Amino acid sequence: MPYELKVDGMKEISEALDKLADGATKAASAALYEGAGIMADEIRKGADSIRTEPFQYTMNGKRLPSPEEKEIVMKASAGIAKFNKNGTEIDTSVGFRNAGYAELAGKQVPIPLIVNSINSGTSFMPKQPFVRQAAAKAAPKAMKAMIEKIETALDVHLKEINKI
Amino acid sequence: MAEAQTTYDSLVAALKALTQGESPNTVTLPVAENIWLTRPDAESYGVVSQDFEAGAIRAENVKQDEAFEGSFDLFSLAKDGAGWIPLIRNTLTTYCGGCWSLNSHVYERDTRLFHWEWTFQTEG
Repeated sequence: MPYELKVDGMKEISEALDKLADGATKAASAALYEGAGIMADEIRKGADSIRTEPFQYTMNGKRLPSPEEKEIVMKASAGIAKFNKNGTEIDTSVGFRNAGYAELAGKQVPIPLIVNSINSGTSFMPKQPFVRQAAAKAAPKAMKAMIEKIETALDVHLKEINKI
Repeated sequence: MAEAQTTYDSLVAALKALTQGESPNTVTLPVAENIWLTRPDAESYGVVSQDFEAGAIRAENVKQDEAFEGSFDLFSLAKDGAGWIPLIRNTLTTYCGGCWSLNSHVYERDTRLFHWEWTFQTEG
């Protein structure tokens, strides 16, 4: 006659583990959103510091972006892309990739192109790497905020699980 | 921290030397130390920029670590960069294997120049 092994409480443990996994994903998403927000804010600040020149003449073969170009970048502001889940990983990006088009000198120009020409420079415009600079500046701040967010979110979640 | 700066300085020096040395197609790339000053008329030219220094700052206003970021821009009328691309990549890899990437590659319609931008960052 086969022995019967009976363990009580497995259902509750399984439920708690499911909730833990669910909570970890939510905590990670919340932290990522927090970090991306800090990054986007820093990029906006960086865009505000773009040097401009109202007249489009070149000096030593170089010119600065016009105030209109800066205004387009400021209005577009850096957006946070839709979160991408791949197994246990969640990622997103902050930038101007989907910023669309803007009218510049009577033409529709892709905003990412304007941002790239300011950020990376051209043969006739010196680079002002405000996006890279903002990312480097915001990274430690964003990481700290993300860790704090995860810790708080998991703390709350573990307390809820303990009630099961 | 000092190591990051040494690597950075060596790389910048090597990139500048590269643009002034013997070229594969007898094209010399003029180097602009300050990108405001020059608009070279060569068919291909390179610009070395020491972009910025970044680092996390502790509460007592002391930097925890430091990162030096720079970029190398190649402008060329030739679609393949007139042979300069492998030389630039080799120089970047020699001095810091994993610290660089091709950040941007665009075609300037107004000037008919192809523009490559490599960024590099050394951290301490």
